[in-house]
Amino acid sequence: MKQGLYNNFYKYLVDSFDKKQAALTYIESANLTEKRNEAFSIFKELGFPTRKYEEWKFTSLAAALKDELQLMIEHDHSLINTNRIHSLDAVHLVLVNGRFAPELSDVLPEGITFYDTQATMAEIRFEDKISTLATEDDAPMLALNTAFFTEVSVLEIAAHAIVEKPIHVSHVFTVNDIAEFVPYRMLVIAEKHSEATIIETFHSDSLVHPLFVSYVCEQEIHESAILNTHMINTLPENAYFVQHREVFQYRNSVLNNSNIALSDVTLLRNDLNFQLKDVGTETNLIGAYILTGDQHVDNHTLVDHQSPNCNTNEVYKGILLDTSHAVFNGKVFVRPDAQKTNAFQQNNNLLLSDQATVNSKPQLEIFADDVKCSHGSTIGQMNEDALFYLQTRGIGEEAARKLIMQSFIFDVISKIKIESLQDYVSDLLNKKLNTENLTVA
Amino acid sequence: MLNITNLHSSIEGKQILKGIDLKVNAGEIHAIMGPNGSGKSTLASVLAGKPEYEVTEGTAFLDGKDLLDMAPEERAREGLFLAFQYPVEIPGVSNINFLKTAITEIRSHRGLPELTSKEFLKLLKDKQELVELKSSLVNRSLNEGFSGGEKKRNEILQLAMLDPKLAILDETDSGLDIDALRIVASGVNKLRTENNAFVIITHYQRLLDYIIPDFVHILYDGRIIKSGTKELAQELEEKGYDWITQHETGTV
Ligand SMILES: Nc1ncnc2c1ncn2[C@@H]1O[C@H](COP(=O)(O)OP(=O)(O)OP(=O)(O)O)[C@@H](O)[C@H]1O
Ligand SMILES: [Mg+2]
Repeated sequence: MKQGLYNNFYKYLVDSFDKKQAALTYIESANLTEKRNEAFSIFKELGFPTRKYEEWKFTSLAAALKDELQLMIEHDHSLINTNRIHSLDAVHLVLVNGRFAPELSDVLPEGITFYDTQATMAEIRFEDKISTLATEDDAPMLALNTAFFTEVSVLEIAAHAIVEKPIHVSHVFTVNDIAEFVPYRMLVIAEKHSEATIIETFHSDSLVHPLFVSYVCEQEIHESAILNTHMINTLPENAYFVQHREVFQYRNSVLNNSNIALSDVTLLRNDLNFQLKDVGTETNLIGAYILTGDQHVDNHTLVDHQSPNCNTNEVYKGILLDTSHAVFNGKVFVRPDAQKTNAFQQNNNLLLSDQATVNSKPQLEIFADDVKCSHGSTIGQMNEDALFYLQTRGIGEEAARKLIMQSFIFDVISKIKIESLQDYVSDLLNKKLNTENLTVA
Repeated sequence: MLNITNLHSSIEGKQILKGIDLKVNAGEIHAIMGPNGSGKSTLASVLAGKPEYEVTEGTAFLDGKDLLDMAPEERAREGLFLAFQYPVEIPGVSNINFLKTAITEIRSHRGLPELTSKEFLKLLKDKQELVELKSSLVNRSLNEGFSGGEKKRNEILQLAMLDPKLAILDETDSGLDIDALRIVASGVNKLRTENNAFVIITHYQRLLDYIIPDFVHILYDGRIIKSGTKELAQELEEKGYDWITQHETGTV
């Protein structure tokens, strides 16, 4: 056995796999069943990751993996706040606990098709795509998802389709009666020359018991397609959210992603991998987080430059208060073939409490010689001169601190081009700064 | 209006101000001159409430209120303004939002209603013309990427907007070309009333040709060693600080 965690929840999962699979054999393809079996044996061997794993050095799941967790089975769609974004003119697609809720969703415009679990399983074209982009050799949490996901959906943007309205995929989780585990996934295919915006929000009004979500999203962005993606986490305390995202970018495609964590989520771990498969791509990544209390947010990004003339631009900024903990691990690989790569990466943190922790690690590995790459990581304190300056203009200390924090994060948020979405995120920012009891050490 | 007696202050255990006495009445303009490192900015910072400076002895009152007992923002709300020698750049804080926040705080302290956006913009436009600061700068982040001269003019814009009782200008003239200097000086002259007062810290006679001081004080090694009228500044310009220090040590 490896150095994993093999707790009661692990035993529960291992014991329930065969029974769960037996019920699915008639629905899913032999291909998928085979992949699940492989993934299961990986998970079975590795167990849950512990801090002994290099990739989990600063994030422990021990507290999240409660003994009493169970696979979620009930899907009650009644009385759901579907988390529509006020004033955002978008097409609303609602997934409740990972499952598509057609009665709560809008009709899709031309050029974009949504497949729910049943439709996805029935479509032969998807058979060799699901679980092939993301591979789990060394990733037990991904293997866990592959082995156990029950819901899977596909969003497909047709070739040459220009979808003007953003698609708001609203992931909502119901108030739970027991501690639950929800593993599910999605596949996004942007066909060549298409253009679309997908806003994903992750929301629950409140959680009485712990909720552990394992979400995997695979994306294919084909030649000259433009895909704008936003991930906005508004999960409350008691939510543990682990995401793996695997994105393949082909020739001249553009991918923009924003990753916003201004919520009270207890634990958030993102593994965002971008594989640049062909020349001339552009990848713009922004991230913002403000953590209070005991929150833990870990963003692992990997941009893998496999081809020449690709551009990456990444800026993540965060503020830490109280006893919170942030991890940023930004890998940029530049393979020998990837000449003329431009890769810029930056992670800036404001550490405003003696008891908060930041582990920021930019990791640039360059195997080509004709490239322009830079990275920077800063961990700073409140700028006392700026604070004094604002105070001498009559602005109270508390307000001045908030103004400085707000501006620090707004620098990132201002890059969100959809105005009403930017307003929505600004509201989350203000809510986080005003309603929280900011004890600034 | 401002009443300072026997003010002593130190930073990191080092005594900088060694007994300052200064009285400024409403309607007056005082100039403070003195060599580098003599404590001019320290005096300004102590009055504005910079936390690093420790006051070891003495008092400072603004209209009878104990300045040293107030937080920096309270001092500002009571009508003290400091135009910084080195204005701070604050990326991301928009100049205009910052001004709106500041003016709202100060007005509310004075029991005045919040300005409507229209009133605020009108006021801003008027004051902007006073210091001839481009709108593009007003809309930018606070002081970020401003030239030295632009920063100084932005300080005067804030001064004009916040309408303090007592304004301390710390070397607002350094880094200004002659045109900018004239603009700043005429701005100050227009803002001057019977009810407010200015303390102007400078190294040069140049600014005092445009803003005529009622009194000139020489600060040397943490003390005011000589006070006089505007002729003192001229004399200083001609003879240099050596004259005054020798003169002083000779007579004491
Ligand atoms: N943060 C600090 N720590 C230690 N010493 C300081 C600090 N700030 C100022 N000083 C010292 O205090 C003394 C007075 O400095 P101050 O800035 O008040 O001088 P000044 O008269 O304004 O000079 P200038 O004309 O150059 O602006 C100097 O010796 C300076 O080195
Ligand atoms: Mg000075």
